[in-house]
Amino acid sequence: MNDTTHVRMILRKLALLFRRDFSVARSYRAAFILEAFQALFAVASFYFLSRFIESPQLESSLPQGAGYFAFALVGLAFFDYLSVALHTFEESLREARQNGTLENLLVTQTSLPVILAGSSLYPFALLSLRTTIYLGWGAALFGFPLRGANWPGAILILTASVFAFSGLGILSASYLLVFKRGNPVNWAVVGLSSVVGGMLYPISVLPKWLQVVARFIPITYSLEGMRAAILGHATMHELWPSLAGLLAFAAILLPVSFATFSLALRRTKITGTLTHF
Amino acid sequence: MNTFALSVENVEKYFPPAASGWRALLHPVSRQTVPALRGISFELNHGEVMAVVGANGAGKSTLLRILTTLLIPTRGRAHVCGFDVAREPAKVRLQIGYHTGADACFYSRLSGRENLTLFAGLNNLSAEETTWRIAELTDLFDLGPLLDRQVRTLSTGNIHRLGLARAMLHQPSVLLLDEPTRSLDPLAAAEFRRFLLDQIVARRGTAVLFASHSLAEVEQLAGRVAVLDGGRLLGCDTPAGLAAGAGAETLEQSLEILTRRAAQGPQ
Repeated sequence: MNDTTHVRMILRKLALLFRRDFSVARSYRAAFILEAFQALFAVASFYFLSRFIESPQLESSLPQGAGYFAFALVGLAFFDYLSVALHTFEESLREARQNGTLENLLVTQTSLPVILAGSSLYPFALLSLRTTIYLGWGAALFGFPLRGANWPGAILILTASVFAFSGLGILSASYLLVFKRGNPVNWAVVGLSSVVGGMLYPISVLPKWLQVVARFIPITYSLEGMRAAILGHATMHELWPSLAGLLAFAAILLPVSFATFSLALRRTKITGTLTHF
Repeated sequence: MNTFALSVENVEKYFPPAASGWRALLHPVSRQTVPALRGISFELNHGEVMAVVGANGAGKSTLLRILTTLLIPTRGRAHVCGFDVAREPAKVRLQIGYHTGADACFYSRLSGRENLTLFAGLNNLSAEETTWRIAELTDLFDLGPLLDRQVRTLSTGNIHRLGLARAMLHQPSVLLLDEPTRSLDPLAAAEFRRFLLDQIVARRGTAVLFASHSLAEVEQLAGRVAVLDGGRLLGCDTPAGLAAGAGAETLEQSLEILTRRAAQGPQ
């Protein structure tokens, strides 16, 4: 085999491998479309962030005495609770399927919702430790203001947030139980929350109609409450609107998600697809 | 009052046709038209061992999954120790131990003891009960040297012994085994069968229903054999009874004759 033939052979192999991956990716059409929209969410986030940074009202729209660093650190640290809540339930379900323990778990005296709830405790505990470390580094090295924060209020907001987010997580796990892959619930909630939830900029920089949309997602109340408690030193009374919003989400989402999950579980017991990937 | 360990009355199971992608999304509730079990009826007495045999796709695993409450039958009723599998799944799960021949069925990075402790807790055993049950099962299953090793370091045979120990943690009345010796070598399989008969059936009086492809295993373990083919029960009798009914000399011949007759349809 001469050098030219050898090079052509390698190029052909590379082309075949590329074509293999493209064909597999193309077979998941929904994922293809979702990725295009994911890019839109990312671009929109950067657009609103730049609008906020260039805005003359930058300082006035931040909580009193807190710079943008503290504002963004709280946003980033606590946005992760939403991500963990959305992924932890479906992750534990996927893991149990993969390591072959799902059927063995399901024939015990413990219901699947309890197993999923228990499986979410460690990820939340780990995240709380990580958040503490985030804030600790921020305070130790970069002047993040820890003093004067309403910590009991922050813990209350965080607890209510975890309940509200968990409702969304259980809905997401229900989807996975029935449809096995791809998850528009996760995708829509995380994407929308990252744009309108106030993670990197206050929702006041959004157009009016997006500010209305923001009122219909729990992360908005969670981040508002968290910033008010930690950075704004808000009293319990002042935190009440955020807390009430989160409790309302939890009161609606948790029963709905448990009912949906029960239906999804029953459905898989009828179709025999409980352990399918 | 239902006094059988298991009773299955006219159980039918139909699955919806497989669907994926947008079709699955747009029609999540399609009609169940693919038959897996058709009109299955039999009983299993306490302390009895029965085998379910049949070709791949005959319905053996579907039947076991219905009895473990992992599937809901389309029609008919099944009871475990008098409890309805569809209406009283929690009570049924209290009565059954379930073990499949799959190699991956534990948390491989946890030790055998940690796995057993977890599953004991999930089966409502208190910390004290868990300790003495694990000690008892360690003696019974000779698990001593294995118990504190990570499951991923155990041989397939030892994982199956651990699996049986897990299935017996809450002292179930009925043991359901799906191809329990599927991935065992002949020696380990023989040891497993001896163990099942001596320690679980003879000593504990536990009723056992197991699915298997090994007719030698079936003849050695089972008092009665249920023959499934295409979701139908072709016969349920002792190996000798099946042979006599089919005019055959061995269990293997009986199965051949019964499935051939079923394929030819009613004369």
